[in-house]
Amino acid sequence: MDRRDFLKFSVLGSTLFLGGKNYGVTSPLKPFSQAASSQLSRVEARYYEKLPDREIKCNLCPRFCHLGDKERGFCGVRENQDGKYYTLVYGQVASYNIDPIEKKPFFHFLPGSEAFSIATAGCNLSCKFCQNWEISQMRPEQVKSVYLPPEDVVQTAEQYRCPIIAYTYSEPTIFYEFMYDTSLMARRHHLRNVVVSAGFINPEPLADLIKVVDAIKIDLKAFTQDFYTNYVRGELQPVLQSIKQIAGSKAWLEIVYLVIPTLNDNPEDIRKMCRWLKAEIGPDYPLHFSRFQPMYLIKNLPPTPISTLEKLRAIALEEGLHYVYIGNVPGHPAESTYCPNCGKLIIERYGYIIKKKEMSGNKCRYCGQVIPGVWS
Amino acid sequence: MKKSRVVIIFSKQALSPTGIPEPQIMLKMYRRGLELLSGVPAEEALKIWFKPEDRIGIKINTIARRALSTRPETSVPLGLWLGKNLGGEDKIIIWDRTNEELKDAGYKLSTSPGSLKIFGTDSRGVGYTQEPIVNRDIGSLFSRIQTDLIDASISLAILKDHGLAGVTAGMKNYFGAIHNPNKYHDSNCNPYIAELFETDIIRGKHRLSILDALRVQYHRGPSYHPQWAENCQKLIFSTDAVAADSIGWKLIEELRAKKGLPSLKEENRQPAYLFTAEKMGLGQADQANIEILEEEV
Repeated sequence: MDRRDFLKFSVLGSTLFLGGKNYGVTSPLKPFSQAASSQLSRVEARYYEKLPDREIKCNLCPRFCHLGDKERGFCGVRENQDGKYYTLVYGQVASYNIDPIEKKPFFHFLPGSEAFSIATAGCNLSCKFCQNWEISQMRPEQVKSVYLPPEDVVQTAEQYRCPIIAYTYSEPTIFYEFMYDTSLMARRHHLRNVVVSAGFINPEPLADLIKVVDAIKIDLKAFTQDFYTNYVRGELQPVLQSIKQIAGSKAWLEIVYLVIPTLNDNPEDIRKMCRWLKAEIGPDYPLHFSRFQPMYLIKNLPPTPISTLEKLRAIALEEGLHYVYIGNVPGHPAESTYCPNCGKLIIERYGYIIKKKEMSGNKCRYCGQVIPGVWS
Repeated sequence: MKKSRVVIIFSKQALSPTGIPEPQIMLKMYRRGLELLSGVPAEEALKIWFKPEDRIGIKINTIARRALSTRPETSVPLGLWLGKNLGGEDKIIIWDRTNEELKDAGYKLSTSPGSLKIFGTDSRGVGYTQEPIVNRDIGSLFSRIQTDLIDASISLAILKDHGLAGVTAGMKNYFGAIHNPNKYHDSNCNPYIAELFETDIIRGKHRLSILDALRVQYHRGPSYHPQWAENCQKLIFSTDAVAADSIGWKLIEELRAKKGLPSLKEENRQPAYLFTAEKMGLGQADQANIEILEEEV
């Protein structure tokens, strides 16, 4: 398979993703061997405690699943086998693509670069509006996978001249061991690692992960516990803790907020969130308000009105955040980056395409203002 | 309020000295259990619950492999007897999530024409529904065995203590009919077990609960721990799935008390989903509203 053939699969994924959908491994996969369901990986998991009577407690995420023999965690991909805890998805890639980094979205991280993007089955949340539920809400034996151990991921990224590996689509936390080992290896090959996550992870594994990756995008689903309880089956506070932890590290951070009409679009909640972000991590990390498309278990609501996204963006700017974007609305002016000092357009985007970049190094070309991010 | 009836059949000969169910005794227990449940001869009773054209699924539980699963010696005699009395054994499907689990529990898979069918949802050409089916907080793909291949269902589940749900029995057995049961184990599986059972696809087809209480894991379940498993040699029958499970719970509490263990309530893991199910009108959880008929064969 040459680059053109490979990109055909990617284009399929990317094109459909514009409508909010990413497909898993559905195409002929010449370069990789198809993993059979009976070939789930059996690599010992990290961050767990052995308990009496062959039970274990998983410490990877704030669920702290307590599992008996033969039981799996909420994520569906980590299993207690006779008192030892295993990841079943190490190297079991259920979706891969070459994506523009803007698709993640990262707007302040190597704009215009391509990321070799991978995911396994499973997720430690259960969002009713999940855009990738065909892989995230599945157990690994329920999806087609290809076997791509870390060395093959790195080699593939290099082969297709991608400077970045992205751990994305489902929830990378649940394939932690695979992501971590791949990131380490990628660094040795001078590749960058980015993570697209909901941030529902415990501080210790996150601290270790931050040391081997370059950027993390957090999906902040809402700013109320009520929403996390009813639509996500998770908790808000650990996610906020993760945001603070990443902001205090060397890894770059961007935040996405998918705006779902009537469910998490309350302007007062958004204002509180923006105040919290400014107070806790400062005004310089990008915040993306993304447009919702009806999906998975929430098909009864229409796509987010663009006017709602604009109103919420205005609130965020009023509250003093410097880089506030609107996503999933190709051609909208708020896809572009404006210098917070002189107000000039410095990166013009259309969808995932960079049309113009008026920066010199990490500075605005017009006024010399430093624009935070990773630019080279 | 009319009480729900639950029948408990005991036999000293239900298990062989090595702990294997005795098929002939199983059949005797089924027949007597259904007679007592219906008040008419067993073969007549079948015609109350099943139409001649019904394809019947027997949903078993093989997650704990051979050590603590619905054994073939228990389920196959039921399937063959149903087939004999309801127009052909090829209309009967004994099933669970995966072929591997079925084989590990001692089953020989079968899809041959004219014979009793035994296979898992992951069989080629079966799988799950393409789109999720939603009921309250449940959103799942359902096994196409449950949605497309059967008209009526018997839940033939192992009765076990469950670390999260409190008790796993006939209702929770249907977690094996959806693709994402791992998503429904928090909050003591409450209200998820009740909400899953409430779906048309489950409740609309469910005819009978038969709890396999031949060997009961009364502590540290659902994994198998021989030191906390007891040979009870009982089968529990009801058309009320909630009542059947409630009496299963009672049996587990009795075993725990006998062994000096705290009650599930004391461990703060009583099966609250049963009371949720009762509130939803799915059956009787309150044991005061359940008539228990118990007999030895």
